[in-house]
Amino acid sequence: MPEKLKIGVYTCYCGGNISHTVKCEQVAKVMESQPDVVISRTNMSLCSDAGQSQIEQDIKELGVNRVVIGACAPSLHEQTFRGTVMRAGLNPFLYHHIGLREQDSWVHTCDCDGATCKAMHLMAAGIAKARHLQPLEPIRLEAEKQALVIGGGVAGLRAALDIARQGLRVVLIEKSPFIGGRMAQLEAVFPTGEKARDLLCDLVKKVAGHPNIKLYTQAEVTGVTGYVGNYGVRILQHSRGVSAEDAQALMTACKKEVPDEFNYGLSQRKVIYQPFEGCYPQLPAVDWENYQGEPISLNGGQPIVLEDAPQTFDVSVGAIVVATGFDPYEPRQGEYSYGELKEVVTLPQLIRHLALMKSGEALTWNGHPVRDVALIHCVGSREIEGVDEPHEDGQVNNYCSRVCCTASLHMAVELHEKFPALNIYELYQDIRTYGRGHEDYYRGALDGGVRFVRYSGEERPQVTPAPTGDTHPVLLRVKDSLTYNEELEIPVDLVVLAVGMVPRQIDDLVNMLKVSRGTDRFLLEVHPKLRPVETAVNGVILAGTAQGPMNIQESLSAASAAAAKVLTLLGRGKVELPPFVAAVDAEKCNGTGACVEACQYDGAIALQTFTENGKEIKRAVVTPANCVGCGACVAACPNRAIDVQGWTLSQYEAMVDAIGMNIVDLVEA
Amino acid sequence: MSRVDPTLLHELKEYGAVGIEKCFNCGNCTAICPLASDEYPFPRSVIRRAQIGDKERMKSQLDPWLCYYCGDCSATCPKGAEPGETMMASRRWLTGQYDWTGLARKFYTSLAWELGSIILVGLLVVWIIAMFHGPLVTERVELNTFAPLHIVHLADWVMAGALVFFIATNVLRMYWLTMRRDGQKIPFKFYVTEAWQLVLHALTQKRWATCAADEKDEKTRNAKRTARTIHLLLVSGYGLMLVLIIFFLSWFQTDNIYPLWHPQRWLGYYATVVLLLGAGWALWGRVKKEVEMHRFSHPSDWIFPILLLVVTLTGILQHAFRYWDMPLATYYTYVVHLAFTAPMLILEVPFGKWAHLYYRPLAVYFQAVKEKAKAEQQVPEGALAAAD
Ligand SMILES: Cc1cc2nc3c(=O)[nH]c(=O)nc-3n(C[C@H](O)[C@H](O)[C@H](O)COP(=O)(O)OP(=O)(O)OC[C@H]3O[C@@H](n4cnc5c(N)ncnc54)[C@H](O)[C@@H]3O)c2cc1C
Ligand code: SF4
Ligand code: SF4
Repeated sequence: MPEKLKIGVYTCYCGGNISHTVKCEQVAKVMESQPDVVISRTNMSLCSDAGQSQIEQDIKELGVNRVVIGACAPSLHEQTFRGTVMRAGLNPFLYHHIGLREQDSWVHTCDCDGATCKAMHLMAAGIAKARHLQPLEPIRLEAEKQALVIGGGVAGLRAALDIARQGLRVVLIEKSPFIGGRMAQLEAVFPTGEKARDLLCDLVKKVAGHPNIKLYTQAEVTGVTGYVGNYGVRILQHSRGVSAEDAQALMTACKKEVPDEFNYGLSQRKVIYQPFEGCYPQLPAVDWENYQGEPISLNGGQPIVLEDAPQTFDVSVGAIVVATGFDPYEPRQGEYSYGELKEVVTLPQLIRHLALMKSGEALTWNGHPVRDVALIHCVGSREIEGVDEPHEDGQVNNYCSRVCCTASLHMAVELHEKFPALNIYELYQDIRTYGRGHEDYYRGALDGGVRFVRYSGEERPQVTPAPTGDTHPVLLRVKDSLTYNEELEIPVDLVVLAVGMVPRQIDDLVNMLKVSRGTDRFLLEVHPKLRPVETAVNGVILAGTAQGPMNIQESLSAASAAAAKVLTLLGRGKVELPPFVAAVDAEKCNGTGACVEACQYDGAIALQTFTENGKEIKRAVVTPANCVGCGACVAACPNRAIDVQGWTLSQYEAMVDAIGMNIVDLVEA
Repeated sequence: MSRVDPTLLHELKEYGAVGIEKCFNCGNCTAICPLASDEYPFPRSVIRRAQIGDKERMKSQLDPWLCYYCGDCSATCPKGAEPGETMMASRRWLTGQYDWTGLARKFYTSLAWELGSIILVGLLVVWIIAMFHGPLVTERVELNTFAPLHIVHLADWVMAGALVFFIATNVLRMYWLTMRRDGQKIPFKFYVTEAWQLVLHALTQKRWATCAADEKDEKTRNAKRTARTIHLLLVSGYGLMLVLIIFFLSWFQTDNIYPLWHPQRWLGYYATVVLLLGAGWALWGRVKKEVEMHRFSHPSDWIFPILLLVVTLTGILQHAFRYWDMPLATYYTYVVHLAFTAPMLILEVPFGKWAHLYYRPLAVYFQAVKEKAKAEQQVPEGALAAAD
């Protein structure tokens, strides 16, 4: 005999967010009379400890065995209340959550009565569904105790090391021939002023020496199959092109040169190269893209041509960490006269320019002494729709790149220390030196006499060549709100664009992994507050600036968080997935295969042949790990033989019936 | 559009500005200032012009003169940018800008120039007297024989004439820079109708009272009141002295001994006492550095009160020697007295700190004239609608 249903219904005030619009007491009263409801309560804030223990108490003392909660969006607190229900000894899936706040009170603030009616319908539908809920078990799968980390920047290195140190194996792949990412291109870094490459070197040594980490450089992902715990990843790796024995000789003999991207084109490098002293791996590499079969004649001997022999191999991993990093924003031709005036450079370029200078040398640009320099903030960031020209995808970069303020101020302070006679201008919108110690650079810049000019994003500064005969080559025009919105003309020798961050070009990878991107084109987490490093794809986790602008400290925190997620997922050798996937009713299934055709996801459902009572029959079989629970199969099945667990057809029908009820009937029930 | 000139900030530092670059333009100083207004949002307006080096606007603004240095701004500034001292330095700088001879700029930026000139003028006075003085009567004091009254009086008038010339030409430049270059049309009548402001503010420094009126802290309020009172007394003292020596020199340059009730006696004593008080108070304040307006001292801030003190003291001494009937001592202190008085008047009034005596009331007057003109130009609200 089935157990008697005892439903507990809870209507939350959400501290007024709901109760200001919805008459919660009335709702709770009406719910009392719904079938099988044994208790209906309201609460100021159900997610509080007191609220949760009330539910636990009701389960234990009143024998409540189905719980319905009307509160904020399920994305916020569904997990919280599953925990509550479970703590009280009930199966966590015997609980249903209704988003009274986002779905009702917040969108109907002007119509209290209407909102209250809607709340009653929604709650009644929830109760109707709850009456059909069945206990479910999460899906448990064996997991590969190995993770893939994509990207050998500081975030990727940190994540790899953290995972490896807990005993899991790591495959670390890096697209370029050397690891370190963008951080290797920096010199002294805020907020400590330490040398970027020294810090990086420390991390690289640990990664390189760790027995659990297998590093592949010049490598890329070319295919991904499987699911969390069991991803099969295909990797393509190019040849290094040289060996320890012939590397030096080949490098010397090679004549072909290209602009050095490590110095943002400020210098040339050979196509067989090492980007910087102390790089890792130390062995030089051939830049195949630019090498283009150039014959090299070793010691005047026969010319030889180096060949790239790319290799492809597969690895099995339980989770994937994406740490593909960022690119500095490349200003458009003519944006602030970039590309048109030699005196307009980007901040990353200036960092490299200073690094290439000899110590004690005077600051020059393009052969001319620099006496006055202006740094413009927010280039390629905080763009405004309708004001700034959209990028290729039609979007403007409306986000703040977060590091450029402190990086610019850091640069200003450094310039002032090195060249005390230099006049420095910072053209900014807001000073966003938000991190610990960052504000010191702002203070330092002020005290050092750096002049601040505040522009508005609606009217960005103009950079123009100065008329002949002017004392300076470039004139900046800017409307300065600190000077009562007057227009200033600033004569300078050098304009530095504090460019923001944009994600790297990783379209292929995004398609293979099926992860989503935000409107800012950075990879998107499931929830910014509750699940900040996980993607919507189970087992694919984000680390560092692939997800959005971050400084080194934040990239490292994110990387360690990603590692922690990987470890909780794979540490026990098993993964648990929510049970909301398709399930086949074996008795009703007669193998029509409509479901298999309807399914969009590889390996989620297939027809299998069974032998029963000596007869061969076909039946659909779901691979829960690959099923996303979209329900396409449910709609296709002619026999109602398939259902998504936790969201079955009969549950929907009951909900629809309740929603469709006349409010009077509802109230009088 | 103004062109940014980074040199102005360094220039102002030579005139005694201390923390301009630290200012992050929060505006607290202007908010607290009891004298600032929407049209004259100093001290931030002045600091900002200094930061970006807008020399043209810096020259044409009246703002620095509208401040009496109560120091509320400096006490409030969260950055230690010393806005009050920036106002002070800007006044020095403006004195240099108005002065066409270039001497003011030299005196403010070079101690050697300032001291050298004072010594030079002093020695010149000594030399002239040494060459041209009359017989030294030693039996009794006969100052008028030693330095005949009509000659000294003539010299006084010559000096006064020179002073008027320099002051008038510099004031004309101030007028040109502040009133004529911004394109505002100012009907002449307002210069006449507002003229009383010039006299009123020169004599009373009326606005200074506002600084103390809003002060909540009793101790600071009292200190501000004291500062204004002593300054008023000082002004009355030197004003009186100037009138006396220009118009009533015969009372002073005399061998007679007047009775105590004679104005020569009590007016002279009054002026002497307040001059001693004023100069002594300023110097003591600058030593102690307790109130805002005395925390920073440019050399010019020392030299002026010191000169005033020495002139007053030698005046008293000379007077005393005459009463005690000590002829030689009287003649020598008289020479010393003149050797300090001449440079004090000739250099400090048109080219030095003392110039604020006329620039400040002039600025208040100009401000009033501008405001009247502006009010007249503004179409009264509703007038347009009525015309339709
Ligand atoms: C001008 C400037 C100055 C800065 N100064 C500071 C500072 O002083 N202090 C500070 O804390 N932060 C600073 N930052 C920020 C700092 O550079 C970043 O936080 C940090 O470099 C981010 O590291 P990452 O590993 O996330 O990304 P990256 O450094 O970009 O690393 C990503 C790596 O992934 C690789 N990769 C990309 N795509 C693929 C692919 N498909 N397959 C395989 N590998 C791939 C790349 O080759 C690269 O090696 C500055 C940034 C800028 C722009
Ligand atoms: S960090 Fe500063 S410079 Fe960079 S986008 Fe944000 S506000 Fe602009
Ligand atoms: S001087 Fe000080 S109080 Fe005035 S705006 Fe600057 S920082 Fe603010």
